[in-house]
Amino acid sequence: MPVSFIVQMAVSGALMGLVYALVAYGFQLTYATSKSLNFGQGELVMVSAFATLSIMGTGLPYPLVVLLGLLFGALLGLAVERTGVRLALEQKSEGWILLTIIIGLFLFSFAENVWGRDDRPFPTPISSQPLNILGIDVTPVELSVAVGVLAVMLLVEAFKRTTLLGKAFEAVSADRDASELMGISATRTVMLSYALSGAVAALAGILVSPITTVGPTMASALVLKAFSVAVVAGLESGFGVVVVGLFLGALESLASFYVGSGWRDAPGLVLLILALAVRPTGVFGKAVIRKV
Amino acid sequence: MLKRLLLVRGAELLLFALLAAIPLVVTSSYALGLLTLLAIYGILLIGLDVTVGYLGQVNLGQAAFLGLGAYAAGIAVTRYGAGIPLALFMAGGLGTLLGALLALPALRLEGPQFALATLSFTALTATALNELEWLTNGAQGLSLQVPPLLGHALSKREFYWLCVLAFAAVWLAMRNLLSSQWGRAFEALRDSPIATDAMGVGTYRHKVAGFAFGSGLGGLAGGLYALNFEYLQPQGFQYELTVILLLGVVLGGRKSLWGAFVGATLVALLPNLLSSRFLFQAFSALGLAVALFAGLRGLARRTLRPFQALAPIVATATLVAGGFLVQNTEDWRKAIFALMLFSVVVGLPEGLMGFAGRALAALFRVAPPPLPPPAPLDEVLPPHLASGAPLLVLAGLKRWFGGVRAVDGLDLTVRAGQVHGLIGPNGSGKSTVVNVVSGLYAPTAGALSLRGAPLPQGSLFQAARSGVARTFQNLQLFSGMTALENVMVALRGAYRVPLPLICLGLGRGEERRAQAAALALLDFVGLGDQARTPARDLTYGAQRFLEIARALARRPDVLILDEPAAGLAHPDVLKQVELIRRVHQRGITIVLIEHHMDVVSQLCDLVTALDGGRVIAEGTPDEVKRHPRVIAAYLGAVEPAVEPAAAPPAPPAGVPAT
Amino acid sequence: MLEVKELYAGYGLSEVLVGTSLTVEAGAVVALIGANGAGKTTTMRAISGMIAPSRGEVLLDGQPVQGLPASKIARLGLAHSPEGRKVFAPLSVEDNLLLGAFRHLPRFFGFRKAGAADLAHVYDLFPRLAERRGQLAGTLSGGEQQMLAIGRALMARPKVMLLDEPSMGLAPVIVQEVFRTIRRLKAEGMTMLLVEQFAQAALEVADHAFVMERGRIAVHGTPADLRRDERVVAAYLG
Repeated sequence: MPVSFIVQMAVSGALMGLVYALVAYGFQLTYATSKSLNFGQGELVMVSAFATLSIMGTGLPYPLVVLLGLLFGALLGLAVERTGVRLALEQKSEGWILLTIIIGLFLFSFAENVWGRDDRPFPTPISSQPLNILGIDVTPVELSVAVGVLAVMLLVEAFKRTTLLGKAFEAVSADRDASELMGISATRTVMLSYALSGAVAALAGILVSPITTVGPTMASALVLKAFSVAVVAGLESGFGVVVVGLFLGALESLASFYVGSGWRDAPGLVLLILALAVRPTGVFGKAVIRKV
Repeated sequence: MLKRLLLVRGAELLLFALLAAIPLVVTSSYALGLLTLLAIYGILLIGLDVTVGYLGQVNLGQAAFLGLGAYAAGIAVTRYGAGIPLALFMAGGLGTLLGALLALPALRLEGPQFALATLSFTALTATALNELEWLTNGAQGLSLQVPPLLGHALSKREFYWLCVLAFAAVWLAMRNLLSSQWGRAFEALRDSPIATDAMGVGTYRHKVAGFAFGSGLGGLAGGLYALNFEYLQPQGFQYELTVILLLGVVLGGRKSLWGAFVGATLVALLPNLLSSRFLFQAFSALGLAVALFAGLRGLARRTLRPFQALAPIVATATLVAGGFLVQNTEDWRKAIFALMLFSVVVGLPEGLMGFAGRALAALFRVAPPPLPPPAPLDEVLPPHLASGAPLLVLAGLKRWFGGVRAVDGLDLTVRAGQVHGLIGPNGSGKSTVVNVVSGLYAPTAGALSLRGAPLPQGSLFQAARSGVARTFQNLQLFSGMTALENVMVALRGAYRVPLPLICLGLGRGEERRAQAAALALLDFVGLGDQARTPARDLTYGAQRFLEIARALARRPDVLILDEPAAGLAHPDVLKQVELIRRVHQRGITIVLIEHHMDVVSQLCDLVTALDGGRVIAEGTPDEVKRHPRVIAAYLGAVEPAVEPAAAPPAPPAGVPAT
Repeated sequence: MLEVKELYAGYGLSEVLVGTSLTVEAGAVVALIGANGAGKTTTMRAISGMIAPSRGEVLLDGQPVQGLPASKIARLGLAHSPEGRKVFAPLSVEDNLLLGAFRHLPRFFGFRKAGAADLAHVYDLFPRLAERRGQLAGTLSGGEQQMLAIGRALMARPKVMLLDEPSMGLAPVIVQEVFRTIRRLKAEGMTMLLVEQFAQAALEVADHAFVMERGRIAVHGTPADLRRDERVVAAYLG
């Protein structure tokens, strides 16, 4: 087995891993403001991809299609927040876990019936002719994934660190009641984070669809791995997800080759359970001090 | 007593008699199939309710345990020619074993992370069942034939009775378990995991045991499932089933055996409901009617928020509309589940039985069984000898948080039978010392010993087991439980009957003795007449007394009282002082952290003053009060008040002038 | 400036406040005293919108605010320094303070510049906070956290400030400092409603005081009046 072949597989896997990282980042965004996350995030990715495909059918120029797709994702994120999360947060319960699962189930069934159960190709103006960089083949589509993921994360992180609204995100996460007393509307902050998270999910769908095709089940495996990435990296670590995403992507690409393609999903799942066992707050997370 | 037996037990008996009798009248094999499924789901949901209801965690792994149990039984029968009992034992055993293995890492976390771990487990199980073809036959599926039971080939009807029998046995076992210390521990750890550990009950091990038990039931149900269908495929045990099972538990009502039964009925009947358009329309219309009624009533009485009232109405109205618009309801199965589940979770969070249960309880008031007379106090709290020998010794203790040195090289000796005061200004490290001794924090450095033996570090549970008991400055009572139950949870050495025997109902004598002992302690702190009052309904002062009673139930070598007079009104402070004095008189060694100097002066034999995480003075209360460093640090006399008039009543007048 | 009329509020089904009424004049310091559980903190929470009152009126500068979300009331100019301080532990001291001024600072950029004057005022009041401006609020001592909580409320340039138990759990030397600050703010013309368990100390700074008993106001008057009232003296000032 030539080394270059292994490297090639690891690299394509790692690029795929960036998509996991992007979806995982969507979890972190909402977790940051409300300690909640959307268990139906995968369905958001999928439905946004379908919707973008439908918008594309109208013949609008590609950049505008992408923009509308992101907007659709944001609106969907808002809908999830309103129907599934807000009530539970107000009651300080964890009911959102169940409710977001339910909403995901609904969206899945909706997509199945509206867009059909078959996988469809997702056209993109970006070429999929491989480029040879340092002896490794990479397609521009794959590169666009990497660029898109990193650009979005940089933008959002800059927002969180340099603007007052970004600091308000952290304040709401630290103490919801106290931030309300500062005039920061916790509800609106959480809404904003869900909208951002929905747009990030849509972006993930738009970036990954040209590679994987679009179908109702396109995101079910994706989201499990994003969960793994988020938990392994720690739900509070912005850039940790990139590292873990790259690693997991490479790992499973190799695992599917050496153990069998049916086991492709196993490394992420095992990693998740192991991470919980060894370091529950994630590799990049901070330890929690219990108080009485 | 009779009324109680009649109503509660009678209803259960009637249920199982009915279940057993139905096939004598209804002979359709289709109906029999449904009933069998109902019994199997009943077991499955009771198991799931352990985590979802009693531990309060969203568990997405039960479908996996059903699958694992089913395959275990299937493989045992086809490969090793096992009989029914062995196959079921294997199924339940595998469920329990893997449940424990999963719980060990997964239950260190809560909430979303736990849900994620169980979700991953379900996905991993599906992958494994699919890929391990040499064992499971992979995607082709596994066929099996029900072996004879004791040489007798079971008819479908007889197999059904077997399932009902298993269901009844599980029901009974669960009921016995829940009315024992186990049930109380489950309740307690949801209210306050920290206090549960600090009372030596072991939050983590109870959670793991509970999850393993529930998973074992999942496996058992899987075994019956395999024998019922005689054909297994990996696809049957995935995410969708897990969600439907959750629907069953939530819809039926969490923390309720009856709820599990109602949920199981629903889950078993759901496919039929969807196959007939008329049935579906009728059912969704019924749902809408209920949502409208409950929602509007809730709005009118202002018991519901607008969203809680309106969202279920919209969801059920969508169902009704969908019933007319959609061609094939089967295709929309998942969306229909989703809408139903959504309406229930939002509008009726306690589930059908939770709702009905409250109504029934209001209708038939069943008095709880009478309590036994209190046990003699000397038995419950044997007097110690106040020897004055070193009991609790801290040497060179350090605890840093990042750069903050909360405790920074502390030496302290507490002598047996003394009341040892610990004072110091805010942030001087008192609370950290308490938290290190009681095991909440592991020390950064230093040694702790109790009676000369090293004290376990960094585990509330282990420290409690070694003889340290504590109260909490911010009360950590099990607020939903009664005063009596609060004390019973903590009783040391009162529960010796092993789990299997408890499930068989052999723990009742022990339970009575525990009640008597707990009552004696409640009498001791003056709450004997409020034994049945939920802790959250007690007055603030009574709650502080209850915390002491609960700590005494540990029969501690050292009792740590963390600001026992904080927030008490003056009369209650006096009562508290008197109570602590009586505890002291029984020879129990006390470490007292207190802000009120007069309380310290009245009670303590010896006082240690801390500042900046170190000892600055030690001696009798009077000596310490006069010590210049104490005055400087604690009483703030170094910085003379610029405007003396603005100063609060000068300490050491400890009782704040509220 | 702040007027509370016949307020009813509570948690779930139990009502803690049963018809509380009080008035805070502009520029006045008003103390709210009473036994544990009398409803002092609940009154504060109902005024600032942390819980929604079930009946009654709260007028801020003449404008009814009852039932509005807390953030809305805060933006209208009411600052509430809550019981237990509730600083944003994972944020720095300076970020805590800037967030206190959220209601009048630009949301995105340039907020540091716009908040500089208010920061300088707070740092002047609490030099210790200036020393620790980069430190995480969670690592401050109890007394410093209390100063931060008061400073954070001041940053909003509020019309009315509610201070709930500023002395709770603090060493006497720190309590003195807190009360010195309250005096100084009073001299600067700040309108304040103060809940305090050290009734004596509260009466020293207050222009007017209300005594709560079981969810309503039992007595009110100037501190001098209350000191003459035997019942009050026996119950709270003994």
